[in-house]
Amino acid sequence: MKLTTKELTVCALLTAMALGLSYLENLFPLSLAVPVPGVKLGLANIVAVFALYALGAGQAFLILFARCLLGSVFAGNMSAFIFSLFGGVSAMAVMTLLSHLRGLSVYGVSAGGAAAHNCGQIAAAMLTLGSTAPLYYLPVLLGVSLLTGGLTGLVCACLFRGLASTNFMKG
Amino acid sequence: MKPFPELRPAPWDLAVVAAVLTLALFCGVMVWGGAATGLTAIVTADGEEIDRFPLSAPAGERTYSAGGYTLTADVSPDGIQITASDCPTQDCIRTGRISRSGQSIVCLPARFILRLEGKTEINSSGVDAVIG
Ligand SMILES: [Zn+2]
Repeated sequence: MKLTTKELTVCALLTAMALGLSYLENLFPLSLAVPVPGVKLGLANIVAVFALYALGAGQAFLILFARCLLGSVFAGNMSAFIFSLFGGVSAMAVMTLLSHLRGLSVYGVSAGGAAAHNCGQIAAAMLTLGSTAPLYYLPVLLGVSLLTGGLTGLVCACLFRGLASTNFMKG
Repeated sequence: MKPFPELRPAPWDLAVVAAVLTLALFCGVMVWGGAATGLTAIVTADGEEIDRFPLSAPAGERTYSAGGYTLTADVSPDGIQITASDCPTQDCIRTGRISRSGQSIVCLPARFILRLEGKTEINSSGVDAVIG
């Protein structure tokens, strides 16, 4: 994949934003409802959805890997990497697929991605702990994913509306 | 090449919502099914079982060491709670009391899991009823 200077700059900027959002979600006490350490809300999916549509799947995956790698370097542990990678890749794979379906809006794609993100995180938890115990919290997390997915869709819809009047999307 | 997204909710979005809810319901029935009678606490450290006892066991404190940390569990007939741990994250303490089948307390730094399980006969009899 060959990136132009502009694309590289946008990717770097989006990676930084995704990291910021990953940090921000530490403020939400998700552990009260889902006491499985490592499982996160997935606000960084906002950046993933945006990158998927604005830059394409290739660069969206690139941003995802950079975010997971840098995020776990900052967190200073390997399990953070597994959690964010499992969640992120599942979400991105499902959203790439859904984005090609006609009749789905950015809301549907985001909701599917959020659900996949949480499934991936539970899978990471089961793998890390060598136990199926985290599966108990999947139904709750799937319910939560509809909310985060809706929020992600809303934020992205606003973003794209704002960008429609610029020539950003035309590359 | 780049598909521009539809920015307003579309009818097919409901299909995604329905799919997620179905999956949630399916998982819910799978893991929450079976009434919680005769709960058993199963404690594992680093993937290996280190303790197993019925919740009806005499109430009191149990101490476990796992991954270089020491955790203290408060056991009573109405649930289990980690009351003390020297792990850095303290997630295990914040989980609070668990009392239903399938619930668990996880301490990631210690690789410690305390899980409550109901009797398995309830699930198998349910399957028999479906087959027969
Ligand atoms: Zn702990």
